[in-house]
Amino acid sequence: MNHRPEPGDAPHLPIGAGEEVLRGSLRVEGISKSFGGSRALDDVSLTVRPGSVHALCGANGAGKSTLIKVIAGLEHADTGVIELDGEPVRVANPRHAADLGLGFIHQELNLVPTFSVLRNLAMGSGRTGRWGQLDLRRLSRDAVVVLERLQADISLSAQVDKLSVADRWMVSLARSLMRPARFIAMDEPTASFTDDEAHRLIKVIDELTSTGVGILYVSHRLDEVLSISDEITVFRNGRLVTTLAARETDRAALTTHIVGREVERVVASEQGDPGGTERAVRLRALGLSRSPHVLNASFDVKVGEIVGIAGLVGAGRTELARLLVGADRATAGRMELDGAGYAPRSPHQAIRSGVALVPEERRSQGLVLTGSVEDNLAMAEHGAARRTLRPFSPRRSRRTAEALIERFAIKTRSSRTAVHLLSGGNQQKAVVGKYVRTGPGLLVMDEPTVGVDVGARAEIYRIIGELASDGTSVLVISSDFEELAICHRVLVMRAGRIIAEVPASQFDKDHLTALSFGAPDAEEA
Amino acid sequence: MSATTTVTSDVPDNDSPGFDYFDWFGRYGALVVLALLVTVASAAAPETFPTLDNAINVLNQSALAAIIAMGLTFVLVTGEFDLGIGNAASLAGVAACALMVDAGFGIVAALLSVLVLGAAIGIVNGFIVTFMNVSALVATLGTGTVVIGVNYVISDGTPVALQDPDTFLDITFGRLFGVPYPVYVMVLVAAVLWWLLNRTVLGQAMQAVGGNRVAAELSGIRVDRVRIIAFAVCSMCAGLTGFLLASRTGSATLAAGDPYLLSSFAAAFFGSAVLRDGQFHIVGTLVGVITVSVGFNAIALIGLATYSQYLFQGILLIVGVGVGSLARLRAAA
Repeated sequence: MNHRPEPGDAPHLPIGAGEEVLRGSLRVEGISKSFGGSRALDDVSLTVRPGSVHALCGANGAGKSTLIKVIAGLEHADTGVIELDGEPVRVANPRHAADLGLGFIHQELNLVPTFSVLRNLAMGSGRTGRWGQLDLRRLSRDAVVVLERLQADISLSAQVDKLSVADRWMVSLARSLMRPARFIAMDEPTASFTDDEAHRLIKVIDELTSTGVGILYVSHRLDEVLSISDEITVFRNGRLVTTLAARETDRAALTTHIVGREVERVVASEQGDPGGTERAVRLRALGLSRSPHVLNASFDVKVGEIVGIAGLVGAGRTELARLLVGADRATAGRMELDGAGYAPRSPHQAIRSGVALVPEERRSQGLVLTGSVEDNLAMAEHGAARRTLRPFSPRRSRRTAEALIERFAIKTRSSRTAVHLLSGGNQQKAVVGKYVRTGPGLLVMDEPTVGVDVGARAEIYRIIGELASDGTSVLVISSDFEELAICHRVLVMRAGRIIAEVPASQFDKDHLTALSFGAPDAEEA
Repeated sequence: MSATTTVTSDVPDNDSPGFDYFDWFGRYGALVVLALLVTVASAAAPETFPTLDNAINVLNQSALAAIIAMGLTFVLVTGEFDLGIGNAASLAGVAACALMVDAGFGIVAALLSVLVLGAAIGIVNGFIVTFMNVSALVATLGTGTVVIGVNYVISDGTPVALQDPDTFLDITFGRLFGVPYPVYVMVLVAAVLWWLLNRTVLGQAMQAVGGNRVAAELSGIRVDRVRIIAFAVCSMCAGLTGFLLASRTGSATLAAGDPYLLSSFAAAFFGSAVLRDGQFHIVGTLVGVITVSVGFNAIALIGLATYSQYLFQGILLIVGVGVGSLARLRAAA
């Protein structure tokens, strides 16, 4: 039996004094886990050594998150054991995991946004008095030490929802350090970090490992994984493909392991017509504004052209997209679609005119998660219907859905599977498919590949290329400037304005970055 | 590279997990409860319960509750609430009788007026919820209270009774092929509402709005319109129930329809555990109403005290929804 400390008598461990952190490895051995017949983890074994960083890589749905949930006690494995210092332990629930010194920073962070930093740190810290009351004085003493250790300049009284994403993440990390932690699992920490913030995190990880903490690190950013990890384990379809020493591998090898086949980058500008002048204009925006987010935006998108919109988060790209589909109304300026005036007052009117938006957040804005794949694929067609009493044939709808599933290679058990059971990439393909079904003339895609694995990403590029060659114009908003290489042209937005236009022939990721940040030398180029 | 992965997943071949009892019970548990109830009642009262007459009787007793509960289902499907349906039903009864007594309306004219009244209440609810962005809970509580006030104004607080109610009473007591008219009305309403919800774009849009309003909006669905229609359908059904209720006695009292509020919610929630994973749907609501009626009927026939109806209805709701919910949780684990 493993010792489960009582909240009151938890040893007052010297937080921040790393020498005294317990040492030993975390090992999982032969873990398998199935959900309703599909195997999420299949006989997985790996070891996280103290003081080292062990990265987990793999496509969405490959099993990384399931493994973390099993270790955290959120899910229970069907078979296999978890060992701490060579002793098998049964992690009953997250609280028990914390008692064992296992800390978790999930993507959702699980903070209470309206609480102060201190009150968030207090949650689950186990530092309570005899009657269960919080000992706030001792808590704040500990909190200061932890935040110092993380070199995080965050006020304990600040309300969490007023903090930046990176600071919130630090608070979540700090919370797991409020108790003696020997292992910390981090799920996609840097997904929304700036480069500076990512650097800060890497320093923090160095500090933690130097005091003997073992880190389990999940990330899609392969360069980052390669630079900070000691070992890298690759998952594919619930199976452990390989565990590599980070020093002995590179990005290309890693990608091959993740995808299981060589990735082929589809670059539209190499595929065909780069949108010559003889093509008709699909959409023309003239002085489009909605202050303060979008200011005097004027641009053309030609028939069958793929146009990228680069820029930093907050540059007004999403807001511009919302104007194009009538989700918001412009305060000034006008638009023309295929030469005629176009002023959508709702997404309904936009879709009827053939303009659709694949939104940024597929789970909260794109899908009915509990609905089936075929229901989700039918949604935009219902939205485009003029007569609401039009009869609906489930059989016909299913046939159309199955054709789309086939065309976009959406991996799903059947068209009636609930869409939340699909991996991120396949969910994204379902959202795209939903809009493609309405036959749009202009498809606006906001961050189409965020949280999408390498394989599905290539397929989404392929779909974009196909749509364009069929005459659909595509507007791609992306913060991943590398992927904007699929575009014929890239517009750069900064602080609400379109400040540059870069043709494919002059495409250069670093140049786009410089333009987005507004580096003075970039604008002359 | 050939991406030939399509409908068939490339997950290893463990697609046949054997029979999943929890999954099965999650879907059919509520129906099992109904079957169990019928069996027990048949055993306890073999002379009176399992007869054709009693079956028709049960359906007849279900009719009014079913109509209002199926209307409520529309609002629940779009992810809203309506706490005013009981009041709307009460007002519809009083208004129908008052129109016939004071304004000399015929039965058909009174029925149509009551349906229009119901639609109007629903549209007002819908506008308050969509355009004023008030939560449906608060909005319908408010309009429901206003409806009570209007009811007092019309009736002066006293029951409204028809002088010569015979034709009006026929609506409740008339029979065709031995089956009372209200049963036909229930079946007709059920068929129309089922078709609306499952076989029209409107119904699909309602389900999408209930599932994710933002995604529905960005898919081009006119979310506000859909929500307003749902409220209108709901209150129209409440009006119809109020009208039919008045035809039982040829008179209407102030609060006659009020009890339907709780029974409708109970039936719809019980029904959400029937055949579907916690989603509201017409057939489920119908099963919910009939299950309650079967129970009440059995309690009366066996000769248990009336108060046991409350015990029964409360426990049924918790067991029906709770067991389904628990079974789904286990099936997912």
